[in-house]
Amino acid sequence: MSKPTLLLIDDEERILRSLRMLFFVGYNVRVTTEPKEAIRILREEKVHVIVSDQRMPQMQGSELLRIARETSPATMRILLTGYSDLDASIASVNEGEVFRYLMKPWNAEDVKRVVAEAAAIAEASFALQAHAAPEPEAAGNKPRVLIMDHDETTAKTVHETLGDRCEIVWAADAQHAMEELAKQNVSVVVSDLMLGETNVGYILKTIKQLNPQTQCIVVTSFSDTSRLIELINQAQITRFLPKPVSKGILARNLESMLERFHLVRSQPVLQKRQSVEPISDPSEKVSAGNFIGMLGRLRSRIGV
Amino acid sequence: MSNHNPAGESIFSLVTPIDALSPDLPLEEVAEQFADPRNAKLLSLPVVENGRPIGVITRYQFMNIYLKRYARELYGKRPLRGFINNTPLLVELDQPLAEAAQHVAANMQFPLTEDFIVTRRGRYLGIGFVMDLLKAMEVKMRANTQELEQAYAQLKSSQLALVQSEKMASLGQMVAGVAHEINTPLGYVQNNVAIGQALFVQVQTVIADYEALFDMMLNGEADEALDTAQLQKVTAARNDANTQEMLGEMNGLMADSLYGIEQISGLVHDLKNFSRMDAAANDLANLNDCIESALNIGRNVLKNKVEVVKDLAQLPEIMCAPSQLNQVFLNLFTNAAQAMETQGKLFIKSWHDATHIHIGVTDTGKGMPQEIVQRIFDPFFTTKPVGEGTGLGLAITHQIIQQHGGTIRVESRVGEGSSFHISLPIAHSASSATAGTATYA
Repeated sequence: MSKPTLLLIDDEERILRSLRMLFFVGYNVRVTTEPKEAIRILREEKVHVIVSDQRMPQMQGSELLRIARETSPATMRILLTGYSDLDASIASVNEGEVFRYLMKPWNAEDVKRVVAEAAAIAEASFALQAHAAPEPEAAGNKPRVLIMDHDETTAKTVHETLGDRCEIVWAADAQHAMEELAKQNVSVVVSDLMLGETNVGYILKTIKQLNPQTQCIVVTSFSDTSRLIELINQAQITRFLPKPVSKGILARNLESMLERFHLVRSQPVLQKRQSVEPISDPSEKVSAGNFIGMLGRLRSRIGV
Repeated sequence: MSNHNPAGESIFSLVTPIDALSPDLPLEEVAEQFADPRNAKLLSLPVVENGRPIGVITRYQFMNIYLKRYARELYGKRPLRGFINNTPLLVELDQPLAEAAQHVAANMQFPLTEDFIVTRRGRYLGIGFVMDLLKAMEVKMRANTQELEQAYAQLKSSQLALVQSEKMASLGQMVAGVAHEINTPLGYVQNNVAIGQALFVQVQTVIADYEALFDMMLNGEADEALDTAQLQKVTAARNDANTQEMLGEMNGLMADSLYGIEQISGLVHDLKNFSRMDAAANDLANLNDCIESALNIGRNVLKNKVEVVKDLAQLPEIMCAPSQLNQVFLNLFTNAAQAMETQGKLFIKSWHDATHIHIGVTDTGKGMPQEIVQRIFDPFFTTKPVGEGTGLGLAITHQIIQQHGGTIRVESRVGEGSSFHISLPIAHSASSATAGTATYA
């Protein structure tokens, strides 16, 4: 097998030189300071992984990754940035659909590991693309949508949008959410980050670990960049919509996430594209452990 | 404390219950009342009919009538009614002390000739001494003054806290900006060192292999198989193109790392310059340096968005609080950047005449309508979303400039941009700048 291709974009050449050496062995490394050049390379060559800076004079990294998503969907997208601003991280989720959001300065071993993982997934994605796309799965059970939100508005909007096409479950607290998750896996989760007093980040992370097919939409007024970055890396949330969210936007994103769910379910390779990092926060790790334990007990009681 | 008491209680404590006179009392009996030692302290006697005060007879007034020749014979049997002053000083029991004191002070005669009458719902209750009332009032005023002083101190400390929070907010923004700026060089420096470290281990192994081979050759221990193996090992290492190339590149990475460290040092230096933590609060400074320092710190807000056009003339140094002026300029520059929706230009001009230094800061941002321009230096006025601005930035700017004896003016046109003009006197005594420092310390 030939070496995977890694495309690096940063407006600081020293970053490029440094990263090129980090991946010198084992990769075919392409570097450029010009986003336009990066787009050309994506169009003309098979790129496994693209690692882009966020703040560049000509184009934001999230925008470049959005273009990469359209130009070369199999390429895995990683953002590497020194700036942790909220707008950039939201754009990297919603537009760039990044695999990882990494911060400068980075740990060389961590970045190597992430890129290697991404390269392997990309290789499998390319192999899949080479084959004919599989038939969409025949309509089986209704998809199940779980809403975790203290406020009823989101649940109402989901009801109005998806009507009777989906089974819609609304949980206003963490306990109820767990009971519903114990009964059956869900296709799409629409969740606020705070459920009453509970920060539900760990639930989202656990859901994605237990059932990688589930697509997570976060709808919240809560804005903490570092939490969001954690959710990208450890829960692979695919949409982050700031509250109040218009009905049209939520509806559009729900539709696309349902579609994504069907696609991912039929293609296990695609599941890997959304694989998550282990939970890093120690207290969340404990919460997630308890959560899994309780879920297991509930499931055995219900007999799932 | 007075504010814990019901309103009437302070008047109540002033009441002396005195038997009032009937208007029908003949003057000779009134004379006896005035002569009674129990009433010696009284300036006047109240006159009450059907429970309600109808007037007062003062000792002074009474003596004017009664000490005249034959007065006793002429008026002794006449009723009091015809002699009384029927506009007595009246105070209702539940009247606030201050109001009562004000009423009495406004209507009393000087020299003091009468006492005031206290009523409860219009009915006679007793009398009170004007001096006592005024004394009570003075005590209360002293308490009020204390309360006022306390309130003032609280206000001042909360204003200080606000100024502090604005300082912290802009400081936080500035530090975050510079921290981010540092992340890029730190990123490659750290990575280069990690690569260098890994490469160093490899090189160490290669050198060890060379040494082993060299030792074998020197010692001449004849084990051809071992020798050959070692030779092959060394040859392989020598031909390892990756290591060779990486070693070649390493020079470049080291140079980059030194450059990165220089950049980081520069940023730390900028921070230190800006905050002037190790310099005197008041110092002779060149305002062009303050402008440059603020530009360095604001670089991450300005870069990629704002083209800075400088036109800085040679300026005389002035005595000022440089760290405060740094803050003023950074505030103006970041505001300008925020006023630009996309790309824009920031013109910074400095010049001076015989008495003043002038600084112009003009942006090509979205500008402001007149009603905003008028309020722009008001404390707490902000056009930014809740949580993003304290509304104190320009208020503090204004204050700092004032404390330097200068002025700041603004002109703005919607869609064209805003222009700030600062004038600072060249010869401004250092002491008034010090006063400013005290406020912001």
